[in-house]
Amino acid sequence: MAYSDKVVEHFNNPRNMGSFKKDEDGVGTGIVGAPECGDVMKLQIKVQGEKIVDAKFKTFGCGSAIASSSLATEWMKGKTLEEAAKIKNTDIVQELNLPPVKIHCSVLAEDAIKAALADYKKKAGQSE
Amino acid sequence: MDQTHNMPGKRTELQMARSMCWHCQSEVHGEYFCVQCVKVQPVSKELDYFTCLGLPRLLNIDLGALEAKFYELSRAFHPDFFQNKSESEQAISLGNSALLNTAYRTLKDPIRRAEYLIQLEAGSAKDIRTSPPADLFEEILALQEDLEEFRSASPGQNPVHMEELRTRLKVDRETLERRQLEMEHRLAELFTAWDKLQSRKQPDDQARRERDAMLKEMREILSNRTYLRNIVNDMVATTG
Repeated sequence: MAYSDKVVEHFNNPRNMGSFKKDEDGVGTGIVGAPECGDVMKLQIKVQGEKIVDAKFKTFGCGSAIASSSLATEWMKGKTLEEAAKIKNTDIVQELNLPPVKIHCSVLAEDAIKAALADYKKKAGQSE
Repeated sequence: MDQTHNMPGKRTELQMARSMCWHCQSEVHGEYFCVQCVKVQPVSKELDYFTCLGLPRLLNIDLGALEAKFYELSRAFHPDFFQNKSESEQAISLGNSALLNTAYRTLKDPIRRAEYLIQLEAGSAKDIRTSPPADLFEEILALQEDLEEFRSASPGQNPVHMEELRTRLKVDRETLERRQLEMEHRLAELFTAWDKLQSRKQPDDQARRERDAMLKEMREILSNRTYLRNIVNDMVATTG
């Protein structure tokens, strides 16, 4: 099975790879894993006001997982928290042409987005 | 939640479900060949792999019996023997052979067998909510960072520091490998305890609670061992 051009492109030129300090103000961190394949994904956002001004990721897993998280950071940047929460794994599947066996990679990215948003809100004392 | 697994009668009924031979319409009771017209019958997709291969639904199975039954059925279903038969029979033989191979591969490997059984018992294995192992993730990320540093180091760079790093990674790897072994032991214990629980005639509330707790723990260990396996493999590949 070959990776789609878009996956390969993200894999070769990952956007926003790296990390922020977890305890830094305005930073939300989501760390998630896929028990099926053992991939681990860390996704972080930096928030000012209601806006995500920066995002970073580190993913240890297959090409599709790396591409999914790279794309997720790209999409999150510049979005409000509310807008970012609407990113769905199916959007990622569509954009990257993920085959059925790699759909769980996009689910992982969506979980990571949610976890990062939740962590930010918890830190900012906004949780429910 | 689906409670049918706690009703021993139910499963037998399902297995004994009467159906009709596709060819002569006489009754078949789960036999692979019609008693009347001897035509091969399609193995139902509903049939679980254990039943398909004539084994009790347990985690410790008789591998000899598994293999014997697999060979027996492989011969019975083999497409080569259906070359001169009708198209329907050829299709059934092919479908049955494919299913049989998947069933055998799944049950032969203890981990795949356990994953399959958990999936059967809990509907979808994802239904058992296990909290993500946050500590393990942190640990893996930290180790991956060490590995990255090790990989990206240029040959002449600070040999003392690199040697320290290599030693640390080696110690970490040994610790992880010990944990892997502990996990395997615990899994083996759980497999035995699970099988013992199945032999109880009348499952009571206590047994049901034990059952759910076991499913959850097995699910957790199976996930965690995958994460550990990946990081250990990465360490082996990087530091040799």
